[in-house]
Amino acid sequence: MTTPWRLALFVLALIVLVPAVWHVALALPAFGAPTEQYGAAVNALLTATRHVTNMVAAVNFDVRGFDTLGEESMLVCAVTGAVVLLRGTRGESMTDRAGKIPGRAVAPRTDATVLVCRIAATLTLLFGVYMALHGTVTPGGGFQGGAIAGSSLMLLYLGEGYESWRRMVRSPALDVLEGGGAFVFVGAAAVPLMLGYALLQNVLPFGTPKDLYSGGLMVVANFAVGVSVAGSFGLLLLEFMEETRSPDSESMPDEED
Amino acid sequence: MPAQAGIRLRETPDSRFRGNERNGSRGSIVTIAQALLPVPVLLPLAVATALLAVAHWLPTAVSNVLGIITALLVMLLCGYLAREALDGQVLQWFGGWTPASSQRPGVVLGISFLADPASAAVAAYVGFMFAAALLFAFGYAETRSHFQILMLLFLAAMVGFCLTHDLFNMFVWFELMSVAGFALTAYPLGKSSLEGAFNFTIINALGSFMMLTGVGLLYARTGTLDFTQMGRVVTASGADAVIGAGFCLIAAALLTKAAIVPFHMWLSDAHAVAPSPVSVIFSGIMVSVALFALGKIVAQIFIHDGAVMMLVRTLFVWLGTATAIVGGLMAWAQRHLKRLLAFSTIAHLGIMLIGVAAVAPAAMAGFVLYLFGHGLIKGALFMVAGILLSLRASGDEIVLYRKARDLWPAGVAMAIGGLLLGGLPYGLLHRATDTIDPSAAPLITAAIVLSTALTGAAVLRAAARIFAGWSGAPGPEISAPTERDHEKDDRPFWLMLMSCALLLAVAFTPGTAVETFLSQATLRLMDIQAPNVPPPERQPNALVSYLPIALTIGLFVLSLFRQRATTALSRRLFHAELLPFRALQFVHSGIVSDYVAWMMLGLAALALVIGW
Amino acid sequence: MSILPWLTAAWLFGIGVYGVVTSRHYVHLIGCLTVCQSATYLLLLSIGYWWGAGPPIFYDHPPGTPAVDPVLQALVLTDIVVGAAVTALLLVIALQVHKRRGTLDPQSLRPLRPSQ
Repeated sequence: MTTPWRLALFVLALIVLVPAVWHVALALPAFGAPTEQYGAAVNALLTATRHVTNMVAAVNFDVRGFDTLGEESMLVCAVTGAVVLLRGTRGESMTDRAGKIPGRAVAPRTDATVLVCRIAATLTLLFGVYMALHGTVTPGGGFQGGAIAGSSLMLLYLGEGYESWRRMVRSPALDVLEGGGAFVFVGAAAVPLMLGYALLQNVLPFGTPKDLYSGGLMVVANFAVGVSVAGSFGLLLLEFMEETRSPDSESMPDEED
Repeated sequence: MPAQAGIRLRETPDSRFRGNERNGSRGSIVTIAQALLPVPVLLPLAVATALLAVAHWLPTAVSNVLGIITALLVMLLCGYLAREALDGQVLQWFGGWTPASSQRPGVVLGISFLADPASAAVAAYVGFMFAAALLFAFGYAETRSHFQILMLLFLAAMVGFCLTHDLFNMFVWFELMSVAGFALTAYPLGKSSLEGAFNFTIINALGSFMMLTGVGLLYARTGTLDFTQMGRVVTASGADAVIGAGFCLIAAALLTKAAIVPFHMWLSDAHAVAPSPVSVIFSGIMVSVALFALGKIVAQIFIHDGAVMMLVRTLFVWLGTATAIVGGLMAWAQRHLKRLLAFSTIAHLGIMLIGVAAVAPAAMAGFVLYLFGHGLIKGALFMVAGILLSLRASGDEIVLYRKARDLWPAGVAMAIGGLLLGGLPYGLLHRATDTIDPSAAPLITAAIVLSTALTGAAVLRAAARIFAGWSGAPGPEISAPTERDHEKDDRPFWLMLMSCALLLAVAFTPGTAVETFLSQATLRLMDIQAPNVPPPERQPNALVSYLPIALTIGLFVLSLFRQRATTALSRRLFHAELLPFRALQFVHSGIVSDYVAWMMLGLAALALVIGW
Repeated sequence: MSILPWLTAAWLFGIGVYGVVTSRHYVHLIGCLTVCQSATYLLLLSIGYWWGAGPPIFYDHPPGTPAVDPVLQALVLTDIVVGAAVTALLLVIALQVHKRRGTLDPQSLRPLRPSQ
């Protein structure tokens, strides 16, 4: 079907959908109305019952922690899928030769770049770990901290160059981080079950509010998610980097005429 | 510490609960069934993440065996839960967040899993199909356990999808199911696999955005995400545009996953190019489970909303009928085996939607029976297609003409599968077809009969061509899309055949044996309090019962005696016959932008009917 | 206008779908999908907003100060992770398709048919 016909179908659909959207928009509660009962109850209860000050993290890792377990598995699944699709028949490789695009100059790395990247990578990693650990106290949490820690790997590559970076960052280690972190999260959910409580019930002492250790099991879950997300992003970075290297052989991965 | 404003640990009334929450809430887990409730989801998640951590050092055979054992354990656990649930629903509030812990009447904070007999039975069936598919896939994947990890995450998502009682939790498992499906479809890394996976991902991602919007709208109006609580609020509130819009969006997403016209076009692309063990799961369970969830939502949340029920009882029946016809016609006009089977799945999904749309316990029982029967047969047929792809390096029935005579046991399996699909009067599917449409309107019955016959005859025709060398001249299938394809060829024939035979053997279970359980189960599913009365014995109309198989055999014989068009008159007739098939093939163009345009049209149709 | 956020979300979704329907490049299509997704973020966050309320972080303010809905913010976090996951997979698929077909035009990339 050519584009004009497709657009005609789309416009036909819009003729019905636009008045419907208008009607629904008028029927929705007005923007800026007070928080629903569910949210208001969480805001009122969670600080006293779980000693945390970040309500969003409390919802994410305690009240609706099972959702977060599913979401973490989804990230693991997507990264595993991306890795297996990028590796294909190339397999796990450590190609040292960079892919070359004709006509594009390759500038050597300056000392300033190396120094700044080393400092920045360390600070970023620390910041990511700080963000993940303090998720129950200030805005942040496992996902955010893990993403920041993952990006420190990128800075490391910029500073070190591919060969030395690849020697430091190996995919089995990242697999252990990713799988291990998710496994610890699943374990944190399962251990209360084995003790006779409900799944993911907060069985550890709750700690003190506004402190590093507050929220009991939430700290464990936060840290596990942070580790796993850092591993996931690192793995994605590694596989996409491998794509920029020149192929070992000219053969096209996979079959078909 | 007392200087910190606002954190008054002694004076807040919650401090009464603080100590109790750890000791007293032990009381919320009373039975073993309750404690075991989340284990069918936790177990595959744990095994998958552990496999990922040690993937570098673990041989693939070990992860294969672990995968099969996990799937079997899930099946046994869910079967146990289904039995326990007959005595009363099994419910667990996660995190200890029972309704009482919110200290506000009518506010539910936590997520719950609720195992009613029907959901647990479907979850057990999911485990069984995964075990069979992983057995079939032994030796298929040599990529360091990643295939098994993806399959296990897929399994966990589907079981969670069946057992959950919270709308956003359902969305999370729906997403995990989808993402695992996307990755597994692209796994073979061939041109068509990648493009099919791309189309699949775009369409389903749009569907999931619509679902999320629907969940948001429903939360805005009802203030809760729990099924029971939301049902109470919807019953109490009157006609509401927001609730109607929320339902339309969620239904559009579930209908997309269940491949109902006009949301169906991604399925033929995706199932035709996915690895065969994965196609078994897709067609066998994934698509039907979406319809099961739709039925569950309608029965438990929207049962008292007049506008939604009117939409379901009218438009969904017609969409189902249209899907059945379109799927049947397209299946008849295919030559690539997996694409043929994909279209026949679409046809049977249409029939299943007719059962769901009736929103009655008897029809739901018929639908669940149909889910089991159709899934088993379709899984077996996809396994036969996988056998041909790996041992004969092609999936095209015309290319494979007479090439598989020495693989005749697979041919027997395919013929049996075709007969069962076409209405052979034995087994689960036949009993289900009799009970799925309580209204028995003549037009709908005719559509069901026609589409059943078309799909069964198409499979028989392909089987005869490939395994026996019996064939007439090719008909409309000669111009269908196809390509050269193959799968890993060093897997043992007997192993693949064994999984296929297992599924067919279970498909022959007499429907009446399961029906008593299912009628009780669907009564519970729809929250209907009825005494333990056995269901009235529905005497199926004998003519309607045997008509499909007669028509199937008739169409098959016709295809055997088709002559090449040589005279001018026969050529004109042949072109006239090809015309509707050509038009349908043109619409199913393979371009994802077309599919999105049709999807929007479908959403508009839903909005139009509910607004009326 | 108290319905402006809802209309903006609908507009974003519509323009994203328009982009998908008329797209001539896979990566552009993936970008349009991301636009559709931001419509869902906007809708969810707007539902939870409360005029004059603060964030649901009680570090500097005592618990009990009016705060917006944290449940919807948690839902949006999940949504963002979903979006990242799906976008990563789509980009990988696009990369592999480009290696095999040399083009990324959806009009000529149709499964089971020869490329045009």
